[in-house]
Amino acid sequence: MPAEDTGKLSDKLRLTFALTTVLCVLVLAISPLKDFLAEWKHYKRSYSKFAQGRLDTKRLLADYNPNIDQVWLPAMNVTDRCTTCHQGITQPSLGEVSVPQPFRAHPPVPHNVRDWGCTICHRGQGPATEVSEAHETTLAWEQPILPAHFLQSSCGTCHQGDMKETPQLMRGRELLSRLNCQGCHKLNHVERAGLGPDLSSVGNKVTREWIYKWLKEPRTVLDKDGNTTTNGYESGEESRMPKFRLSEEELKALSAFLSLQKATPLTPYKINPAVLAVWSKKPDLISQGEVRFRQMMCTTCHQLAVTRAGETKLIGGNIGPELTKVGSKVNEQWLIAWLRDPKDYLAHANMPQYGWTDEDLYKVSQYILNRLTDSDLLTNVPQLGSPTDQELQTGKRLFTDKGCTSCHSLSETSQQKDFGPDLTALGRKNASELEFSKSKIDRNLVSYIQAKLQDPVSVNPAARMPQYTWNQGDLDAVTTALLSQTGDAPTSALQHLVVPKKDVVFQPVGAFARVFERYKCYACHRFNGYGGTLAPDLSYEGSRAQKKWIADFLENPQTIRPTLILRMPQFNMSEKDAGVAAEYLSLAVQKAELDPESVDARPFTSTMAAKGKELYEVKYQCQSCHTIGATGGYVGPNLNNAGNWLTPAWIEAWLRNPQALQPDSIEPRRNFTDEEVRELTAYLITLRTGIKPPKTKSAAHSRLSAEGAGR
Amino acid sequence: MKENMRKALLLLTVLPCVPAASGCKKQATVIYPDVAFGAYDTEPDWNDPSKQVKLGYRESQGRHVFYVYCVWCHADATPAGPSNRSNLTPIAPLMNDGEKLNGESDEYLQNIITLGGSALGKSEMMPPYGKTLSAEEIKDVIAFTRTIAQPVYQKPGRPGPPYGTK
Repeated sequence: MPAEDTGKLSDKLRLTFALTTVLCVLVLAISPLKDFLAEWKHYKRSYSKFAQGRLDTKRLLADYNPNIDQVWLPAMNVTDRCTTCHQGITQPSLGEVSVPQPFRAHPPVPHNVRDWGCTICHRGQGPATEVSEAHETTLAWEQPILPAHFLQSSCGTCHQGDMKETPQLMRGRELLSRLNCQGCHKLNHVERAGLGPDLSSVGNKVTREWIYKWLKEPRTVLDKDGNTTTNGYESGEESRMPKFRLSEEELKALSAFLSLQKATPLTPYKINPAVLAVWSKKPDLISQGEVRFRQMMCTTCHQLAVTRAGETKLIGGNIGPELTKVGSKVNEQWLIAWLRDPKDYLAHANMPQYGWTDEDLYKVSQYILNRLTDSDLLTNVPQLGSPTDQELQTGKRLFTDKGCTSCHSLSETSQQKDFGPDLTALGRKNASELEFSKSKIDRNLVSYIQAKLQDPVSVNPAARMPQYTWNQGDLDAVTTALLSQTGDAPTSALQHLVVPKKDVVFQPVGAFARVFERYKCYACHRFNGYGGTLAPDLSYEGSRAQKKWIADFLENPQTIRPTLILRMPQFNMSEKDAGVAAEYLSLAVQKAELDPESVDARPFTSTMAAKGKELYEVKYQCQSCHTIGATGGYVGPNLNNAGNWLTPAWIEAWLRNPQALQPDSIEPRRNFTDEEVRELTAYLITLRTGIKPPKTKSAAHSRLSAEGAGR
Repeated sequence: MKENMRKALLLLTVLPCVPAASGCKKQATVIYPDVAFGAYDTEPDWNDPSKQVKLGYRESQGRHVFYVYCVWCHADATPAGPSNRSNLTPIAPLMNDGEKLNGESDEYLQNIITLGGSALGKSEMMPPYGKTLSAEEIKDVIAFTRTIAQPVYQKPGRPGPPYGTK
């Protein structure tokens, strides 16, 4: 028995032994087999095959090796193996869309792959050698590839200043600043915007009912079902005031509290009774007011809804608030006082102080109060009556609790610091650090940011963040700007590359300081990098324009650029103010290397001018963009009055190199010879309209009303 | 005993499949689709604004240049409203006019933008941009116009005349 047993056992043992051997061999084979079948090896082989099918095989395979490629930049903490599969990335001939991925070349960006690697911009897991691990979120790696649509955010992690190559990022930062996101959140390299209006005396301006409506629906846009708008029309711009989700009690309390804010008493202005007597009886009072309103170019800063051919559009600038229904909002005495001198109500108002006559003041205010109205504005607002003590107390508490103080100041409250969370490192957050609540969105940072912006409550039912209205472009732009908030640059080695934004201020001195502040020149014009971008940059105005022309223009602005919808307002500037401004601009606001006196126009002859005319009309055909007389294009400025407007020195310098004087000018730089430059200048300075701009108001009126009638 | 043998045989056939299968599965994702990364930028189709044309980095840079320098004469709608196109004689081609532009090579377009119309025997109303825009920027604009072309552009066009022909 024992022998038999042994025999049986040894048989079993032998079989087990054989099986184990086979198993061992198999197990040992797994690793080399897996290695052979590795994803990246497959791409290596297919690239080689792909390259052999192309004409420039040799070049494509010049640095081919069958192993893992990597970009290793220890100083920048970059170990990117992306080029293992993305093998054609530096091959210029593989740039076509028809080249299959992952072999396509990278487009020519300023930073090349060899010096920068991939993940600094694209994110993802650099050392990974599997497609899914490199690109997607895994348990061990939560920084997936950034969708190409938001790629500009990576530029923003180092480049803090403006860059024309990244329009989406710039727009996003502009919106963050414009909507004053910094009022509640901490953000890096976003310019701090001015606050919302100071509400210290808002009770003088609007009624409690209007406040109630505004807080409930700041600006209801026209919806698909044709529901009416509350305070405006749909436009590209979202309103700066977001919608807070307030209960009925909260609305009543806040409106009660705000309607009693009257820190500075309103001193009503009495319009001359003689003017009232004449104008209040005129049947065309309101239409005359409209003419004057248009003439003063209020729409350069304010939008109005205009209906043409059944389509309602907002027309005008966005520096000031939209005015379509302002007549149903403000009280008459406040409006007149505000128009006369805005800084009486708001010390830091951006609104310039126009020179008003009582007649204009009456006409324009009557137009605003009677035409820019909506009788249905307050239809759904309950009768609120006078505020109770309870409401006032709750309102005061809510004003702080809801974060109103982040944007608005009141005489009795101070601004709250850090009301919302710090967002300076939002762009580096892992999905596991975010709160998604029960929302059904993808669990990644981009979807989180977009959901939060569109509907804060969807990802956090207790969110205090108010509701903004976005169009898709702006939503993507803001997302891009937020993704660029990564705290530090991606690696400490890049920290020295960070280009911080420079703060510039242009503060004129002397008599011009007062004019500059009164007419708010900086709201639209830029001076050495300071100020708005709506109107021409005036940094070199003294080298460009003649003093007399500046003074005449300020007193009575004429349109130089015919396509402009937003034009220089008619300030009714006094001769003295215009003189002060012209004097200062022509002497102190010059380009250092361009002395306006450096070219003497006296030696220019009529023969030269005639030659210049021929160059203008035949050889160079400048009329494709510029207008002289009544013919020509309207891309560039109208040159009818060039002789009175521009200095000869400026014309010559401009013809030689426009971009040297104005880097963003679209006028192409030509190959003019010195002789041609002088001949063209000789011709241009002969162009004078000769007619002095009408000085008297009545002349200006009749001209513009004629224009208005012709429209 | 026989059962054991059968089990062993089964194991022998099944086991090698495990690593092979894991490899096979990954080979299935041969080309990673562009859509996974989204488009860098988009431009509405000029003839049908409801459609969006996808733009890559290069085309997107070209789009920016186009809307600053070229749009005034080469489109019917401009950021300022009216177009300057009708003020020109001859009228400038629309930049999405594939029938006119698809036949021209990239080199030809590069030349006409760099040197201006008259250098290539065309209208002087097209000024030279060679000193205002870099060669790269001009290439970007061309890449942009190719993507918006109607009918759709297909490489290659006819070879352009040598650089600088007058």
